[in-house]
Amino acid sequence: MTFEFPKSLDDLPISSPKWVGKPVNRVEDPQLVTGKTEFIDNITLPGMVHCAILHSPHAHARIKSIDMSRAAALLGVVATLTGEDAERWSRPMYTTPQGWGGYVLATDKVRFVGEPVAAVAATSRYIAEDALELIDVEYEPIDPIVDAFSAAQPGSPKVFEEHDDNIMYQRVFTWGEVDESFQKADHVYKESFRWNRVGANPLETFGVISEWDLVDDTLTCRGAFQTASFMAMGRAATFRLPSNKVRFIAQPHGGSFGGKGGGRGTDITLMLSRKAAGRPVKWIEDRMEYLSSGGSQAWDRHYEASIAVNDDGTVTALRVKLLDDMGATAEGFGATGAVKPMASFTGCYAIPNAEYDLTLVATNKLPASPYRGMGPPPHNFVLEQMMDIAARDLGLDPAEMRRRNFIPADQFPYIIASGNEYDSGEYEAALDKVLEMAGYEQLRREQEEARAQGRHVGIGVVSTIEPGVFDWNAYTVIGTQGIGIPEGVTVAIDTMGKITARVGFALEGQGQYTVVTQLLAEYFGVELEDVRVVLADNLSAPPNFGPGGSRLGVAITGAVLGAAQRLTEKLTKVAAKLFEVQPEDVELLDGMLRVKSVPESQLSVANAAAIMLNRSDMLPPDVDPSPQATFAWTAPGRVEPDEQGRVKSYLTAANACHLVMVEVDPDTGQVEILKYYIADDCGTRLNPANVEGMVQGAVAQGVGATLLEEYVYDDDGQLLTASFMDYLLPTIHEVPFPEKAALVTPSPFTPLGAKGAGESAIHTTPAAIMCAINDALLPLGVRAKEVPASPNRLWKLIQGASG
Amino acid sequence: MAAKRDIRLTVNGVAYEATVEPRMTLVDMLRGELGLTGTHVGCEHGVCGACTVLMDGRAVRSCIMLAVQADGADFMTIEGLASREGELHPIQQAFIEERGLQCGFCTPGFMMSILELLQETPDPTDDEIKDALGGAICRCTGYESILKSVRSAAKKLLAPAS
Amino acid sequence: MKPASFEYFAPTSVADAVSLLQEHGLEAKLLAGGQSLVPLLNMRLARPTVVIDVNRVDGLSYVREDGDALAIGAMTHQREVERAELVQRVNPLLHAATRLIGHPQIRNRGTVGGSIAHADPAAELPAVALALDAEMHITGPNGEKAVPAADFFVTYLTTTLEPAEMLTEVRVPALPQGTGWSIQEMARRHGDFALAGATVTLSMNGGMCSDARVVLFGVGATPLRVQQAEERLIGERVDAALISEIGREISSSIDEPLADIHATSEYRRNLAGVLTERALVEALGRAA
Repeated sequence: MTFEFPKSLDDLPISSPKWVGKPVNRVEDPQLVTGKTEFIDNITLPGMVHCAILHSPHAHARIKSIDMSRAAALLGVVATLTGEDAERWSRPMYTTPQGWGGYVLATDKVRFVGEPVAAVAATSRYIAEDALELIDVEYEPIDPIVDAFSAAQPGSPKVFEEHDDNIMYQRVFTWGEVDESFQKADHVYKESFRWNRVGANPLETFGVISEWDLVDDTLTCRGAFQTASFMAMGRAATFRLPSNKVRFIAQPHGGSFGGKGGGRGTDITLMLSRKAAGRPVKWIEDRMEYLSSGGSQAWDRHYEASIAVNDDGTVTALRVKLLDDMGATAEGFGATGAVKPMASFTGCYAIPNAEYDLTLVATNKLPASPYRGMGPPPHNFVLEQMMDIAARDLGLDPAEMRRRNFIPADQFPYIIASGNEYDSGEYEAALDKVLEMAGYEQLRREQEEARAQGRHVGIGVVSTIEPGVFDWNAYTVIGTQGIGIPEGVTVAIDTMGKITARVGFALEGQGQYTVVTQLLAEYFGVELEDVRVVLADNLSAPPNFGPGGSRLGVAITGAVLGAAQRLTEKLTKVAAKLFEVQPEDVELLDGMLRVKSVPESQLSVANAAAIMLNRSDMLPPDVDPSPQATFAWTAPGRVEPDEQGRVKSYLTAANACHLVMVEVDPDTGQVEILKYYIADDCGTRLNPANVEGMVQGAVAQGVGATLLEEYVYDDDGQLLTASFMDYLLPTIHEVPFPEKAALVTPSPFTPLGAKGAGESAIHTTPAAIMCAINDALLPLGVRAKEVPASPNRLWKLIQGASG
Repeated sequence: MAAKRDIRLTVNGVAYEATVEPRMTLVDMLRGELGLTGTHVGCEHGVCGACTVLMDGRAVRSCIMLAVQADGADFMTIEGLASREGELHPIQQAFIEERGLQCGFCTPGFMMSILELLQETPDPTDDEIKDALGGAICRCTGYESILKSVRSAAKKLLAPAS
Repeated sequence: MKPASFEYFAPTSVADAVSLLQEHGLEAKLLAGGQSLVPLLNMRLARPTVVIDVNRVDGLSYVREDGDALAIGAMTHQREVERAELVQRVNPLLHAATRLIGHPQIRNRGTVGGSIAHADPAAELPAVALALDAEMHITGPNGEKAVPAADFFVTYLTTTLEPAEMLTEVRVPALPQGTGWSIQEMARRHGDFALAGATVTLSMNGGMCSDARVVLFGVGATPLRVQQAEERLIGERVDAALISEIGREISSSIDEPLADIHATSEYRRNLAGVLTERALVEALGRAA
């Protein structure tokens, strides 16, 4: 059976949409605003003990010995764990690329400051931390490998002795006639850039409660899991257990932004539970652990880029060389962040030829993690600086430079050089909208006046793509398996006519339960209160993955509409029997199943469900008495990549255009954001308030990455930013509140035309602010090429200019 | 281990007794001993503001106070904001309507700071709101909707009771 | 991040606090507002075996006008100083400096005495204490004494306080009518510890500077008084040229400041000069 998904809100079985497309209040909020939501740390189980983890103080050292005896003897300590246990009971961590990792607790040597070395379970966290101080570990320090360039050199000391060098992955992807384009180009521009490590930092860190039932070898984990089912499969593999003996319950969590993997903490607590005779073991990652050893760090990048440009400003080729410092292992899918830029390599532009020279290198730093956006934000920063460099040299206005290179609106769907297909877009319209909102010409005049007064004011105008609806095939080149990511829902109508949707993903903040509620209330013509969304564990939920890669909004819409349609088919048969017509003569509209030709003959959805459950005498013979249906959605048309890694991977391409005006204080290097405008097009907005929230939140993260946040390691591989005193998250004082406009170019490929929108502005904000800063610095003849553009860095740069 | 101490305190109008080690932080006592888990822990070093509660009417960070220091004090936490019958406080209503939250983890702390602000400055300017909330971190919303929530809550609280 | 175990005492009088300090010596740590100490306890970077909580000591929380000065009890919350109309009237510089400390939630617990005794070189209160010639009233085993701010700050996080001594009151002279004042700082974020700061008072008489005080913070091991700059100002017409000259001199003359991940020594030096200039401009504008 092939499914015809409604292409727009008009195709829903309702006379006029009441819920979908409206900024309805979120169903999850009453619990959240009263502090009643069950975050993992709120849960206490009978017999539960608390885990604390000992982390390596060395970036690189051989472990000579570990003595747990004093810790084990402390009053209140229930179990202890070391790498020996991990070796005995588990497999080394799954990594991408494969073979670049160890066990969840260090065995032979430690490879980064913060690496888990041992763990204890005790009757309180306080005692567990006391016990850590009684663990005697003898280390033999080895010279740490901290600098990515040195690490990549032949002959460098090695992070993993079993490998020939520290190169985790190296490949040059060539798309089109790159060399020729550069030879033929009127102009070639080349520049290097540096993006320092930043990361997710949700307000809630990772946490888990694990139980290893020793009687029948079943595992139960409750935790702040972004992708519970996926984690469960991983645990089954790690502990060589039948997968149906691993039960994962995702608790609502306090944000993730990609960084809530939690594999190590989960495995450590599981093994501690096993040692503690199956008692539940809780581990709540503390903030310093999160910063130094959690899923906190991403994108440690050294770039070289060049573009080939004709006199008229059209870009004919783009070359990007990336050395990405992955840290000590390839666990946690951090490496996918270096591959994802291939899904939007040439941004909004019709650049026909491109090359990506990609090297992933291992160093003695924390392994890189996913972070919102998954990799394109630094790439976009590089691409957009190059566009501005070319525009300046050619005497073109930066906005005009972009306009000349946009993929024209009539060319969609459009396949970019790196192989991904963009579904739809109106890039010029978004640019025009922003220029109009900002009063661009007037702003440029204001800038001129400011410059005449000696002020350093600059404007950045940047358009980017947010690839939406991630698929595993985007990452085949780096060793991930499979094509397609099913996301399922089971929809049930009970005998009272109330609707329950069962999903496999937990609340995380994006408002997905609200979207499910809106869709079902709309489809079946009921009130929001008549619908409830409940979470199922991995063993009882339909196939699911959860949020990730701006995927869930689109995927769950497909799942809900598919399940609703399936359910409607059953209900229709019931109505057809009742009215003694054929099922095809019955249609659902505004919550009523009615005979098309005789609209008075109608049966409510609730009554049809009640008949199914309570009146077997009225049930058609081919209908089971179950007003329920399950549907799992995955992106259609995904295949394997070609030999150059080209593939239709991300199904949707949202677009945003940002215009920022900044002022740089040359005496202090401080950047002030004066004005900020955004036009955002993510197709149909299922809940516009959700989308606005995503945009504004991602602006804040973008501002953080561009101006404040940075993980700093010293030459010994010690992390110097292991607290919120030094890792600087933006506050209400630092975040601008841009004026925002929405454009709607529906996706032709998705249910209702929605596009992935969860990553949002983080793709654009850093590039836009950096363009504005460089515009401000233009009269000084210097260019900022390093992110974050801290006051100290900018001041130093400006000093270089004036003397 | 240091001798435990008996403390008495009032939280949301309810009197409690607890016996705690001197080193236990106030937030661990509220959450672990009293079961008031609506106050969240975000950083445990006094930067993020997630654990903010009202102590004798003043917004304080409960992760950098000791439980023993709570002896004799009167606290309000997020659990005390709605009425006992479950009617939401205007600040809570405003947060829902203005989308002042996404994941909601930082929200209780924000609301406690906002409560202190609005009790003292019923009609705050945007700058006053920012000053009151500058020490609280929200990683989801980008703050705009929180600012709007405070404006809206102020309006609701100022409106004559109907 | 849970503190290690410690003994806890909550004396109710200064005498009891002092005798506890005497008894436990260097093992003990005084707990005032706790906004710096408790994070360190949580991180186990501070490991006192005894914590003496002085929050229950009677009579240490007040702001009073006493002759030509403000007498401020050591345990007065910074927020109370900020709210006190008296402080705003008698010493607007102290008021402004207090508002720059952290955030309201920090100032609700943080105390005047705690901040000054902690002696973080980037903190505002030690700097204005020095700029305003505040006097520290100290009680110890040998009774009470007063130490001028100029003698109080020894080095990084270190004062002349002996292990068994306790700061009980800070007396801050009133800012004479007509004195121009300013406090300028640069922080990565609003409310963060300053990378560097400058505070200035300026008295003008008939267009000439009759008195000046220039104090820098965040650039040395203690707040730094820059007498050289003061001497350049006194007896002069203070104009833009002189101000920028003083700024340049400060940038080039101060001892190499500490470097950290947010600011190099070189950058801190620059900030010291720039912020002094800005403070001088503002103070000049306020001087009557």
